[in-house]
This record gives sequence, C-alpha cells and structure tokens, in this order.
Amino acid sequence: MSTHFFGLNQRSYQYSHSLGRLEMSGTGFRSPVDFAINPEGVAYVLNRSYEKRPDGVHVTMMTLDEEYITEFSSYGEAEGELVWPTSIALDPQGNVYVADEWLNRITIFDREGELLGSWGTPGSGDGELDRPSGIAISADGALFLTDSRNHRVQVFSLDGQFKGNFGGFGVAPGRLNLPWGIGLDKDGRVFVADWRNDRIQQFTADGEWQASFGQPGSGVGCFNRPNSVCVDDDGDIYVADCFNNRVQVLDPEGRFVTAMLGDHRLSRLGKEKLMANPDMIRQRALAYANNPDYEQRFDHPNAVKIDSRGRVCVLDPVRGRIQVYVKSKDPALA
Amino acid sequence: MNKPATEHDVGLMAHLLRRACFGASRDEIEAKAALGYDETLEELLDPLGQPEIEEDLMFRLHPFWYQSPALPSHEWVHRMINSPRQLQEKMSLFWHMVFCAGYSKIDVGQELGYMVAMFREHGMGNFRDLLHRLCTNPGMLYYLDNNESHKDTLNENFGRELLELFSMGVGMDQDFNYTEDDVKACARAFTGWNIAPAYPPFPHGRSRWEFRFDPADHDDGEKTFLGETGRWNGDDVLDIICKQPATARFIARHLYSFFVADEPPVPAWRLTPPLDPGLLQAMEQAYFDSGYDITAMLRVLFTSESFKSDAARFAKVKSPAEMVVGTLRLVEDHLEIRPGLYEISQKSTYMGMDLMNPPTVEGWHTGREWIDSGTLVERINYASELLGNTDLPGVRSLVHRLKSRGPALSPEAFVDGCLHLIGPMTVDNETRSELVSHARRGGDLRHESKSENAEFARRTGEMFQMIASTPEFQFE
Repeated sequence: MSTHFFGLNQRSYQYSHSLGRLEMSGTGFRSPVDFAINPEGVAYVLNRSYEKRPDGVHVTMMTLDEEYITEFSSYGEAEGELVWPTSIALDPQGNVYVADEWLNRITIFDREGELLGSWGTPGSGDGELDRPSGIAISADGALFLTDSRNHRVQVFSLDGQFKGNFGGFGVAPGRLNLPWGIGLDKDGRVFVADWRNDRIQQFTADGEWQASFGQPGSGVGCFNRPNSVCVDDDGDIYVADCFNNRVQVLDPEGRFVTAMLGDHRLSRLGKEKLMANPDMIRQRALAYANNPDYEQRFDHPNAVKIDSRGRVCVLDPVRGRIQVYVKSKDPALA
Repeated sequence: MNKPATEHDVGLMAHLLRRACFGASRDEIEAKAALGYDETLEELLDPLGQPEIEEDLMFRLHPFWYQSPALPSHEWVHRMINSPRQLQEKMSLFWHMVFCAGYSKIDVGQELGYMVAMFREHGMGNFRDLLHRLCTNPGMLYYLDNNESHKDTLNENFGRELLELFSMGVGMDQDFNYTEDDVKACARAFTGWNIAPAYPPFPHGRSRWEFRFDPADHDDGEKTFLGETGRWNGDDVLDIICKQPATARFIARHLYSFFVADEPPVPAWRLTPPLDPGLLQAMEQAYFDSGYDITAMLRVLFTSESFKSDAARFAKVKSPAEMVVGTLRLVEDHLEIRPGLYEISQKSTYMGMDLMNPPTVEGWHTGREWIDSGTLVERINYASELLGNTDLPGVRSLVHRLKSRGPALSPEAFVDGCLHLIGPMTVDNETRSELVSHARRGGDLRHESKSENAEFARRTGEMFQMIASTPEFQFE
C-alpha cells in the first residue's frame, strides 16, 4: 500500500472564529464592502447599507476579538459623509482613508473617527477620479487607488497630490477592466483585482507590469469577479473570488494553493442575538439540520485582509460578519 | 438596407414598444421602425437572442440586492428601465399581476425577488412548466396557506386560487368552469407540497426558502377532478388543468387585457363576453397547437390586426409601473445605476401600484381604476417633472429634433411637433386648442441666437409638461 499526497504544500489554514452579525448599526454590519485592521487588532468595517436605510452607512470599529468600540460617519454628501463608500485603508499613523465612488472623494479620519479632511476631483484627467474603488497605502505613504471607470491605478500622496498612474482599459497584460481591490506586498509590489477581466495583476510600485494570474471560470486558479486581493509576509496571495463564493490562496508565483469556502461558527455577538429570541433558536436548529452549509459558507466574500498576527480575515458581506483563519506551517489537524 | 421609416411605421412601432416593452426613446423608436415591425417583434419574442442586463455591475454597485430583508422592487425597476430583453421583463410584470403574492404577508423581500425572477426566466415558455414552478414556489405556497393544508386538515385556499385566479377562472360563456368538489380535490392533491425549514433573519440573514414534498402529509386517496378520477397528486392536477379550454381562454384573455385593451375585471368574465372573441380564439388555438407555449400566443396577439389597428393605440390606461418606467425611458434617465433608484421605485407605489405587494391575491384593479384624484396628481407631477427637465438626455434630444424642423416654428407647428415627438400622440380638438392658445402667447419659436435657443428649450419643456398633464397622456 502506498499513500499519495496530491497537492501537498507547506501551509494550512484553520478557521479560528467570526465576528459581527447583521445589524443596521452598533454591534454588526450592513452590506459591508471593505475593512482595514490596525496593528492593535481593531477592524474598521465600511458599511454601505442600502438606499432605503441610509442610517446603515458608517464605519464600525470592532476588535477582532469582537469587542464593539464605536462607529463614525454617516450617509450624505457633506464633508465627512458618505454616499457609495467602496474601500477603506489606514496610513502608517493609523489615520483612516475612505473612498466614495459616487462623490469621487477620499475622506480622511483620524484613528478615532474624527474628520481630518478630504480630496478628490471627478473626471478622467491625471489625478481625476471616476468611481474610485480600492485603496492601498504603502509604508512610505504612497496611496494607490483603483480608479475604476477610468480603468487604471492612480498614485497620490496622502494629501491627494497626484504622483502618477498606470493601466488603462483593455485585456492585454497591464491593462484593466473595472478594477476593484488593490493590495501591496511587503516589498511594495502592487496587486490589482482586475474585476471584469477575472484576474489578478501584479505591478512594481512604479506601475510596471510583472504578472497576471487567473482567467474567467470556477476551476482552481480561475476567478469570477475577484474584488479584493492582499499578500502576506510569505508572499502568498489571497483573492476574494466573489462570485465563486470563495477565497483562493495563490503562492508567490501565482499557482493555486488552496481555497477557503467559509467555516463559520456562531460568534459571541451572534449567540447573544439568538438568545434574545427563543423562536429563532428553534428555527435555526431546524434549518441547520436541513442545511448546515448555509450558515457556514461565504456568500459573495468581498474583502480579504491580513492582520498583524498573520491571520487571514474575510469579509462575508451578505451574512454581516468577518471570518478569521489562522495560517499554520506545521501539520495541523482540522 | 432598411427602407426609410414612414410616419405610419413610426407610430406603429411606438405602439408596439409601449405595449410589448416599457416604451422607448425617440431614437430607439425610429431605429426599430427602420428595422421593421416583423423583425423587431421577432427580436422581442426571442429574449435569449438579446444581450443580458449586466448583473455583475448591478451587484457591484448594489451589493445589498443579495440580502434578504430588502424588497428588491428597485432592482426590478432598474431591470424594467434597462433590460435589453424588454418583452421578457414586461412578461414578468404580467405574471406578477396574474399570479399575485405580496410582501405584506410573505415579509421576506428576497422571496418576492426569486418569484419575479422565475416569471422572468420562464414567463415566455411553456405554461404547464410555469404553473408547476408556481406551485412549487415556496413564497406562493406560503402566501396561499398551503403550508397549513394537511392530509387530515385541509386548507382549500391554494387549490381554490389556483383554479379561480391562476389558471381557469370561475367560468366562461355563461357557464361555470369547475365545482366546489373540484376545488376540494385540487387542494387534496396539493397536500404535502410544503416548505423546508429556513434560517431566521438573525444573526446572519434568512436563507432562501426551499420547496419540500412531504409524502407523509400527502392525501394519496382517489379524487375526482374535472371529471377524471384517480389518485391524483399536484402534477396530475396541473396536467388536467392545462388541457382545459377554459385555461386557454383564461390565459388568452389576460394577455389580451394586458397588451391590447382593458377587459372588465376577472370576476366578470363568466358573464361578460370577451372584447375580441376572434383574436382570443386564435390565441387559444395557438396555445393547444404549440403544446401550451406562451410565446406562440404572444406571436398571434402582436401580429393581429386588432393589436396593430389605430383604434388600439392610446386606448389602455398606463399602469403606474408603465408610467414610471416609460417616462424614464423616454427622457433617458436612470440608464445607469445611480442614487435615487429607491425613490424612483416608490413612485409607482404613490400612484397605486406597490410592486411586489399587490393588495390581495386578486391583484390590482386595472384600466381606469388606476386613476383617482390622488393618483392622477401623482402621475401628472411625476411625468411633468421629468419631461420638463431639458437637461435630461432624452428631452434634450427631443428639443434638438424639434429645432431641426426649421428656423422658426409657428405655435401650431410647435404643438403638433411636440405631440408627435412625445408619442406620436393625438389629442382631442379642445385639448389641442388649449395647447395652441398657450403657445401663441409666446409667439413663434426661433433658435438662432443664444437667448432664442434657451427660450426654445424652456418653452419646449413647458409644452411637454402641459402635454403630460393632458388626459391623453394617461393612456398608452
């Protein structure tokens, strides 16, 4: 007898826990579209909500241990308000940058949520914006922004001074079609979720194309509207493969490693909500017996981030939660 | 190469696009008129031959459409405005108005969305198949209490409405189509057609409802239904229903009332003859000849002289959904997703048609009953506001077309030009006289200087607003 270890690699991912629940405000999220994590483990979750409930538009601050802190900003067009927020990122000082694709504006808050300012001009010229959709900030303070309907990445200083851009519409290597998420690796390389081309593209910090990963589809290494990408310190690439309802892990060369499909277990806040309504406990028990996958699996995951401890955190927007995974290089029992 | 479209072609095409679609911009009307009636109709009857709406973009801009609590009527309105498969979308509204189920009871927005999506996907196909999907739709089963109908404690509601409102109707040609015993047999056949347990709304959202057949709760005994005896289940009953002449008549009459001319309310159909028995008979024949194919019935309807005749034009009161969406398509607003769509979707509610939430299983009272003093004000205000906005692309285009009629327009030519471009529509002499009288106060219209151009646009927008407030504009 022999044993065959197909697809063996030197890392595995264990589900750790979840945080959040569906709420219009406070201890949960409503149509969250992105999040950022500071070194102390505080998640800033960007809630887009929906038009009928503009009160759901804000940023929720919650620790990855599921301690609710506060929320800030609200729906509107005034300074500090948001209409169609798309992405959120932190600078090295911990200030918070939020992109709004309707206002074509980047709004800046301090780490407590106090308004610091904003910038952004609509248009298609250098430094002008048409539906900004993803933000990534480098250690030296360069802000990379996917300028979605201009099909490009633009680079700014933190106060909005235009530094350069790259990309442009198309399918050729280095060209983009409605790019969404963007991430940087520890060496400053730029990874773009090339949303409508169903691929990830890698550039140098200067915008020189280096590689493209993936193609349309649902097989391994294929994508269906990837909308978020990040890279851990080992160079492994994580992609929120939204319409395939999974997060794919690629190695630094872009080869498929594994996929996460969602493994949710009730969080503390989730349990608290259920405990307040015995009928829902009973209803959930019946439903769980009939279809456990529903509660566990991702539903259109739209953001993936790495925290300061190297954990992989996945925003699961339809369910109003973040699922957290621990990466292990040692053999680990599931 | 297409022949240039005549005035008659344009008028007929505008009529087809108002009825089979949710209206169209003037550019589209003229382009389709140049293409030809038959070619355009075949395009409409073959929705899969047309591009799909960009659903990925819809999700990207409105991720909440995947969430359970939100009633997706605004998503539907976006589709009505923008779907390249216009007749398919119109048919989803048609079936929603026949197979009525509402949010007021179901209380889960996504279930209404799934039901309408089913109408969209299957509403132009085989009626037997559609009826089966309806009878296994969890939202409809819940709406009509079939989850409360058991082998030992029958609830007749689902069985009754299936016959009375969804397939045969109470009667036709003075006779009754079925008996109370048939209702009971029908309800018995559908016992055990139920819904699997679903997740509650908290903490992570409701799961999609799923149909589940429970054989232990099904009455498997012998039943006599419409004269046939056997141990019928729900599917057997659907087979029997679909081969009834009454079913063909019922569907044909609904289609006629929706697309051609307002029939009296359904409860009157047993005693009141159809408006156009000849056309209905041809549609009924198509129903049987095609094996219950809805598209075959639609082809007969849209190629009939009854539909194409001048008498059919502007003879139907626009439903609120048609008023809302048709005006937007004419002025070319909300052609891409932008904030304000929810409020737009509510306009239909203000006019008396709360999409995905009909007042009862009998649906809305249509025709002239759409209009009362309150809804008329809403309709006029809504259309006037949009048609008077000369910044909107569709209105700007109409102004431009009007200017191309010459360097100066007399008040009479101005009024006639506006009526032509907005329809083409005609108004009665008294209405036209009032419009002309108003136009005369400003004299001839010119557009040579910058100030004349601005005044030309202002007066055109104002005239469009006045036309929107005429009785004739309430019709399609």
